[in-house]
Amino acid sequence: MAATESLVLNDVTKIFQQRGGAGVVKAVDRVSLTIRKGEFVTLLGPSGCGKTTTLRLIAGFEMPSSGRIVLDGTDITYQPPNKRDMAMVFQSYALFPHMNVFDNVAYGLRIRKLSRSDIQTRVENALALVGLSGLGNRKPNQLSGGQQQRVALARALVMEPQVLLFDEPLSNLDAKLRVQMRGEIHALQRRLNITSVYVTHDQVEAMALSDRIVVMNAGRIEQIGTPDEIYRRPNTRFVADFIGRANFIDTTVVQAQGERVTVELFGTRVELQSNGRSVKPGERQTAVVRPEGLKLRADPTLEQVLIEQAMYLGSEIEYIVRAGDQRLVVVDSDPRTSQIFPEGETVGLDIIGEAVHLLPPEETSARA
Amino acid sequence: MAVLPQQVIKPARRVIRDPILAITLVVIVLFVGVSIILPIFAMVRESLSEQGLSLFSRYLSETSYQTIISNTVILGLAVATLGTLIGFLFAYVQVKVRVPFKRFMHILALVPIISPPFALASALIILFGRNGMILRGIFGTRCLWGSGRTCNDIYGLDGLTIVLALSLFTVAYLNLKGMLEALDPALDEAATNLGGSKWHIFRTVTVPMLVPGIASSFLLLFVEAIADLGNPLVLGGNYEVLATRIYISVIGMYDTTAAAVLSVVLLVPSLTVFIVQRYWISRATVVSVTGKPSGTPQQITHPLVCLPLFVLVMAVCLLIILLYATIFVGAFTNVLGVDNTFTLKNFDFVINGYGSEAMVDTTTLSALATPLAGIIGMIIAFLVVRKSFAGRAALDFAAMLGIAVPGTILGIGYLLMFNNDIQIMLPGIGPVTLIPKLTGGRAIFAGAAAIVLVYVVRSVPAALRSGVALLTQIDPAIEEASTSLGANSEQTFRHITLPLIRPAFLSGLIFAFARSMTTISAIVFLTTPQTRIMTAQILNEVENGRFGNAFAYCVILILIVLLTIGILYAAVGSTSGADRGLEGGA
Repeated sequence: MAATESLVLNDVTKIFQQRGGAGVVKAVDRVSLTIRKGEFVTLLGPSGCGKTTTLRLIAGFEMPSSGRIVLDGTDITYQPPNKRDMAMVFQSYALFPHMNVFDNVAYGLRIRKLSRSDIQTRVENALALVGLSGLGNRKPNQLSGGQQQRVALARALVMEPQVLLFDEPLSNLDAKLRVQMRGEIHALQRRLNITSVYVTHDQVEAMALSDRIVVMNAGRIEQIGTPDEIYRRPNTRFVADFIGRANFIDTTVVQAQGERVTVELFGTRVELQSNGRSVKPGERQTAVVRPEGLKLRADPTLEQVLIEQAMYLGSEIEYIVRAGDQRLVVVDSDPRTSQIFPEGETVGLDIIGEAVHLLPPEETSARA
Repeated sequence: MAVLPQQVIKPARRVIRDPILAITLVVIVLFVGVSIILPIFAMVRESLSEQGLSLFSRYLSETSYQTIISNTVILGLAVATLGTLIGFLFAYVQVKVRVPFKRFMHILALVPIISPPFALASALIILFGRNGMILRGIFGTRCLWGSGRTCNDIYGLDGLTIVLALSLFTVAYLNLKGMLEALDPALDEAATNLGGSKWHIFRTVTVPMLVPGIASSFLLLFVEAIADLGNPLVLGGNYEVLATRIYISVIGMYDTTAAAVLSVVLLVPSLTVFIVQRYWISRATVVSVTGKPSGTPQQITHPLVCLPLFVLVMAVCLLIILLYATIFVGAFTNVLGVDNTFTLKNFDFVINGYGSEAMVDTTTLSALATPLAGIIGMIIAFLVVRKSFAGRAALDFAAMLGIAVPGTILGIGYLLMFNNDIQIMLPGIGPVTLIPKLTGGRAIFAGAAAIVLVYVVRSVPAALRSGVALLTQIDPAIEEASTSLGANSEQTFRHITLPLIRPAFLSGLIFAFARSMTTISAIVFLTTPQTRIMTAQILNEVENGRFGNAFAYCVILILIVLLTIGILYAAVGSTSGADRGLEGGA
């Protein structure tokens, strides 16, 4: 296993002193994480969750208050950032405004005192890689936002670092460009197979790019998993809520036989997977149902719900419906083939069993 | 985020793992400690001696000294009021009013930065003194008003206020101009949109937004005015202030204890006002600089507003021109106002005669101090803005003391601290000299070392502030990017930070040179027969009534400063390149 491990964070905690010395803040709280070689891992969470601090601890811009950081078997916890074999792409790009594109990309190589011809070749290759060949003489302020982003990427890639760090690199781009750059980063990373740690608060970005996502909240890791695991089997209410949209429905276990569990949701019995959790009949549980796991149908045998809002979004229709005392979000992802219901109508609610996931009980009580 | 009661951070580790940073920090702290803190400490210690303490009670109870103290405060208030007013007038007209000759007004507002001490005061005496060319020559009177015993001449509070306000208003002008330009025009537009008249907007939007700037300028001018020595010395007449009293105590009575006691009396209001300005007013700034203004500022075009403002500004401009013209004409005249024949003998005296040594010494020492002040200012700015270490705020404050403390006080501190070798006894080796004697007879480098040190100390604050202002606008990620690419602190500072703060560095250098060349109060006690300084020579000439020589010195001094500014621009480069680059990079 050791051979495939690239970066290990072991019980890392970072405590900041508050301004005025009033107290201290645990920005990162006992974070442990093992990243494999070539893996793309995203730290995802709302602002202030500690994801950027974690990245800065990895980069060496901050030092942990406790815990260790190990790169390729070497303890780098207190190694200064310039000695770490990593390169970072910054949110603001952080291009050197007084240098042209070539000099920006060549900067790190010159610090390493590479030969002039080596630098020339490597910088040109890096610029070609990001599609900026021939723009070496431009100043950063003569480039578009997307191009500046590419320079920042080339400047990091040219170092051929063991680990590539990304600090919300796409947040300054407009929506279209963001999607395009996301695709390019994804393709480049897979091609070059560089271990990458990526910070974002955009869950779609995280899903699209990552091998694994680390969801953080209040300095702690809430869940680590593949995008699919995180989306379909969230460990906590926070994760379910932060990733995509979620309906939380209180439910009672009717039957439990090994992996197969039957619960009752709005009078409908739904069969689902327990995912290794032991549940007993009669227990109260919180079920997570994604909006696309609910269907509206003009079927009087189903639980009847009132459509409070219907919003047509082109590729889908979003309904807000009232079921008893609860409001639910329902997304019909293919309005072409199904009936469109108007606001104020009462229709039947169907629940797709595979889309229902039970939250672990300690979380349901602690965070309700 | 969880708030914990205990503190678990060890900031020392960061410094230790970056040895270059640690060494720099030690050097800077040593410099600030030796060149600023030690002299002030020596001065305070002297004032608290037994003899000093008895002088305190005497001075604070005697009427003559109470008058000196109140004179000082009144002068400070008068100069601060008039100077801020002129500064505001110039800034407001420059930014908000449509008038011709704006560029001309702007340049004239900057001219007083290069004003040799005594130059304006002497020119004022030539023009408006009892035998003044204008007062006596044109109006045929010796008094501004009154006559005989009630005669009020240019000497005293009125003349001093005018000269000091004219020499110092640039600070207020630049400060307020910057704020007015940074005011979002959308505010004006919103107020107009809501139905406010121009006058109403001026009263309820513009002025309230500028209150911190006005207060800050007022306090800065107050500190500068009460610290000024040169002008009260020649233009004070019977109007005695603390700075002149301190000067006379040292030069006339060789009583450094009395001088130290008076220095403490002067230090208290100076430091208080400085601290209020620095830590209270400047933080209350409402104006937020958000980068590009969202529209073009509307300008006032109504002739009833424009014309009077234009006339007022032009009047001040003309007075400045008149005073500087007097200096230039006087430099080429035998005795201006008495014998108006053309002569070059004044320049002969300065360039070839007695004054040449002073000219060379002053320029050399200033040229030595300038890069030191610039670099030290930038390094402290870098440390203060970018690095976290214990005592960061204290370092910033201590460095700023170089200007917050009146020059005379600093000078006395040097006299008291460095008049002997500073030695420590090492067991087995005997006394080891840590710092050799810097001042007085037989001082190291004939006192030149102390003078350079004082020049640097007096110039660092301006470089530091412009460095801090620019650095806080530069995204720290740019430096982190350099570190992340393998550069150490020194490489990052040299390749990234310094080029980016080049405009601040350049203005720091220019200010340092101009300040060093024109300073008098801080070095007047430190000159030795071997090391002559132009400003001290000018004082000598003025005191002996040889205005021609003094004016020639002033002209030469102004030319040297202008020439050096040109050289600095060529060497350090134009500021625009780095400015433009920054906009795109961040």
